[in-house]
Amino acid sequence: MSTDDLAAGHLQELRRGTVVLACLIRLRTADYGYALLESLNALGITVDANTLYPLLRRLEKQGLLTSEWNTDEARPRKFYRTSPAGERLAETLTGDWKLIDAALSRLTGDDS
Amino acid sequence: MTATLTDRYVWAAARSAPEAQRRELERELRERIGDETDALLEQGASPEEAERAVLTELGDPVALAAGYVDRPLQLIGPRYYLVWWRLLKLLLAIVVPIAAVGVALGKAISGAPIGDVIGSAVVVSLSVVVHLGFWTTLVFAVLERSPAPEGQRGIDSLWTLDQLPAIHEPARTSRLADLIAAVFFLVVFAAAIVWQQFGIPWVPQLEAVPLLDPALWSFWLPYFIGIIGLEILFAVAVYAIGWTWWLAGVNVLLNVMFTVPALWLLVEGRLFNPAALEAMGWPWGDARPIVVAVAVVTVVGVAIADVVDGIVKTWRAGRARRTAA
Repeated sequence: MSTDDLAAGHLQELRRGTVVLACLIRLRTADYGYALLESLNALGITVDANTLYPLLRRLEKQGLLTSEWNTDEARPRKFYRTSPAGERLAETLTGDWKLIDAALSRLTGDDS
Repeated sequence: MTATLTDRYVWAAARSAPEAQRRELERELRERIGDETDALLEQGASPEEAERAVLTELGDPVALAAGYVDRPLQLIGPRYYLVWWRLLKLLLAIVVPIAAVGVALGKAISGAPIGDVIGSAVVVSLSVVVHLGFWTTLVFAVLERSPAPEGQRGIDSLWTLDQLPAIHEPARTSRLADLIAAVFFLVVFAAAIVWQQFGIPWVPQLEAVPLLDPALWSFWLPYFIGIIGLEILFAVAVYAIGWTWWLAGVNVLLNVMFTVPALWLLVEGRLFNPAALEAMGWPWGDARPIVVAVAVVTVVGVAIADVVDGIVKTWRAGRARRTAA
C-alpha cells in the first residue's frame, strides 16, 4: 500500500464522523440528497455519494432525520430534515468536536 | 416500450432488497440516478453517455442495494467470526476422531478386510469434516443475519478472563514431565515382556506358563525390546533438543517399526503362546473376532495418536520459535 493510499484511508476515518455532524447541521433546512452533496462539497466537506446516500437512510432509520417525498416537480425527491433527536445529537457532537480540537491544540503546544 | 438501462439497474438493485423496502429503494435510486445524470448533461455529455457513466459509477447493483439496506456482504462478520472458529475447531477435534475410531471398530468387528476398515474410516472422517463445517457455518451465517435483541449483544459477549489459554511449550518443565512419563512407561513395558516369560502370578491358569509364544525369543521379542530401547533414546533426544520435524519423522518410523510387526504377529496367530491360550480356555465362544478387532483398533489408535501428538508438538514448537524470533 502506498503512502498516498495510507493517508487517504486515515483521512477517510478522520472525516467519517464529521460527515454525520455536517449533515445534521446542514439539514436544519430540509434538502434532498444531491443538493446536500453539492452544498457540502462546496463548503469543503468532501463526501462521496456512495457514502452519503446510505448514511442518510441510516440516520433516518435511527430517528435522527425525518424524510418526506416532494412530488411537486417531474422527478420525485426525498427531502430530509433534522429531527429533534438529531438536533440534540448535533449539539453533543459539536461539543465533543470542540473538546477534541482544544485537546489537540494543547497537544501540539498551540495555545493561541 | 423497451426497458432503459436505468430501469434494468433499478430492478436489479431492488430485487435483492427485502420486499418491504423495495418500492422506497427504487424511488430513491431513480432520484439519485436522475440527479447525477442531469449534472453530467449540464457538462455537455449526451444522454446515453451520461446514463452509462452514472450507472457504471454506481457499480454492482446488488452491492449498492446492500449498502442502502444495511445488509452484510460477508458470510460471517467480525462479530461472530471468533466464536465460529473456536467452536469449529473444538467440534472437529472431538467428533472426527470419535467417528473414525467408531467406524473402524465396527468394520473390524464385522470382519471386514483391513483396506475396507481404513477406507471407511477415511471416508467417514472426510464426510464428518464436511458436515461439521457446513452446518456450523450455516448456523452462524443465519445468526449474522438475525438482528440481536435491542440493547443486548449476541453470544459474542460471553468472553471472560477464565477463557485465557494456558501457555503451551516450550517450557522445559513440561518436557521433563513428558520424559519421565515416557521412560517410566517404556521401562515397565520392556520389563513386562521379560517377566511374562516366567508366568503371570495373579492369573491362576498362567502361573507358570508364558503368555507370549516362547518361539518369538529367537528374534521378535528381542527386536521389540530393542525398539523400546530406541524409544527411550528418542524420548531423551526430544527432552534435550525439543520437537523438530526431523524428530517427528523418527517418531513415525519408530511407531511403524513397532506396530506393524506386532499386528502382523497378532493376526497371524503367532503372538500368543498356544499353551497359555489353552490354559485360559481361548477362544471364548464367538468372542475371537471382537477381541482381535478391539485389540487391532486400539494398537493402531495409540500409534496414530502418538504420531499426531508428535506432529502437533513440533508445529507448536515451531510457532513458538517464530513468535520469539
